[in-house]
Amino acid sequence: MDTIVTITAVSTARDSAEKAIDNAFSEIRKLEQLSNFFSPDSEISKINRNAGISEVKVSPDIIALLEKALYVSEKTAGAFDVTIGPVERLYDFHRRIKPQEDEIRKNLPLVNYKNLIIDRNRSTVFLQKKGMLIDPGGITKGYAADRAADVLREQGIKSGIVAVAGEIRTFGLKPDGKPWKIGIKNPRAKDQEDDIMATIELSDMAISTSGDYERFFIADGKRYHHLLDPRTGHSAGGCKCVSIIAKKGVFTDSFATGIFVLGPEKGMKVLEKLGFDGIIIDSQDEIHMTPKIRGKIEFKKTAEQYHFS
Amino acid sequence: MSLRKLLSSTTSADRILFLLLLLLSFSGILFVREVLPGGRTVQIEVNGRPAYVLPLDKDRALTVEGPLGKTLIEIKDRRVRVTESPCHNKLCIQQGWVRSGTIICLPNRVVITVGDHDKSTTVDATTG
Amino acid sequence: MQPRDKYRIALLAAYALGLHGFESLLPTPIPWLRLGLANLITLITLLLYGLRPALMVTLIRVILASLFAGTFLGPSFILSLGGGLTSTLAMGFALFAAERLFSPVGLSIIGALFHNIAQLFLAYFLFIQRIEAILLITPVILLLGTLTGAVNGVIASLLINNLKKTAQKIQNGN
Repeated sequence: MDTIVTITAVSTARDSAEKAIDNAFSEIRKLEQLSNFFSPDSEISKINRNAGISEVKVSPDIIALLEKALYVSEKTAGAFDVTIGPVERLYDFHRRIKPQEDEIRKNLPLVNYKNLIIDRNRSTVFLQKKGMLIDPGGITKGYAADRAADVLREQGIKSGIVAVAGEIRTFGLKPDGKPWKIGIKNPRAKDQEDDIMATIELSDMAISTSGDYERFFIADGKRYHHLLDPRTGHSAGGCKCVSIIAKKGVFTDSFATGIFVLGPEKGMKVLEKLGFDGIIIDSQDEIHMTPKIRGKIEFKKTAEQYHFS
Repeated sequence: MSLRKLLSSTTSADRILFLLLLLLSFSGILFVREVLPGGRTVQIEVNGRPAYVLPLDKDRALTVEGPLGKTLIEIKDRRVRVTESPCHNKLCIQQGWVRSGTIICLPNRVVITVGDHDKSTTVDATTG
Repeated sequence: MQPRDKYRIALLAAYALGLHGFESLLPTPIPWLRLGLANLITLITLLLYGLRPALMVTLIRVILASLFAGTFLGPSFILSLGGGLTSTLAMGFALFAAERLFSPVGLSIIGALFHNIAQLFLAYFLFIQRIEAILLITPVILLLGTLTGAVNGVIASLLINNLKKTAQKIQNGN
């Protein structure tokens, strides 16, 4: 996955904690093997190979993952869509490659979550059109964080944090009784000093962030980044970063991506409808926050460049 | 020219300047050592991202996992060192106990900095 | 400027370059701890011929040294140039504004002081923007600078004395 996973568990018994942590890591590895878009042996790849051909029987985790992905797609009216594979593939942020308009036009019809059919009873997934590709990258990390946290709790750990890259799931309180303190990255940090722009205290909540600074390149004065709008095939404008707080990582991860694509106004509306909390910094450096977390986020001096309306 | 003659060729201004600067630099060194005792926090970065910011005054041992494998880091008596590393040249281990400054393991992408990272931004995890 | 003056400056610059090269060949445990023997030539030039020749000798030496090292216009060049010019000016000022207040030893200490101050400033503004790192090393640099400045000053005194004696001998029709 090329991601850093950090698991912190609070326990009075070192051995059982280590065992729990090892199990949690195993769970994450297992999920990675099932869902890795780039690995030909993963279940996702199997589904992709059989697009337009046949349904594929998959494990319960993949069913659960994709069902939740479809739910998020519906709630964001398609701004989040795991079937974005065919268009995503046209970009290479490392080598600064972006597609031509006609390439996007050719592949865009293949992007439609409504053509992803899940049969719960038979535990199968079918992609209706040939050439469709699922890339679950925008939701697996959050899902994995949830599952790892579940494993920890099943093994008796009362509090901890699972961080799969920037997707974070917390539960319980720190040994000193305080909630976990999470740093939110500054989307335009110039150096290590301004890396974190705000901190928020969480307990039993998950937080994820989608930002236009994670994988990108700038060409002709325009920023091309990895958060593509499944409806247009282009990098979504409107926001610099979006952080979502909710009970489960699978939702914070995917909604962060979806709401980023929706933009600040529509995004905030969706957040409020869902009852989640979040903070958006839009392309004009304006900060939008849901009412409940206004008191809970502590902005650092590094956030000087962003303003409130 | 004998030493005595040499010394007498120096003017009183010379001698005052010399002693003054010596005094200034020594007190500067002592001051720095007291006020900035190498820092209060240890920041461990893996693959360019902060993995931990830990207080220097709490003894602990931990492992971080880099591309090559596990690096074992130990904090004890307000110093930090790398105990085990999967890298080839083990330069990071050779650095021994560090009270201030940095230990870098380039192959395993681990950077340990002793500094005064703002306590209030000592976060448990970072999202973004 | 007389051809004789130009000749002198060239020769002195050559000596300075030679000393610099020689010094950089010497192995030292601490990389940036150098006596700065080339500054010796600058000081002697200053004492014997004045500020302008001294500045020229410094300038020529720094430029040629960095050209030969392949670091022309690079960071070390900037630091050497800034340090060299500042220290030469400071020594010149001390010599001519306060005649006879300082012996070569004192002048050399002043030179070293300003050389280091200039380099710390330049390093901060151009290269390392972390003020804590700069402040942390300042006292040590100050100490080393004072000591090496004193040593250089002593050597300069000895050399000048020797030169004077030799000049005397020549005058006396030895």
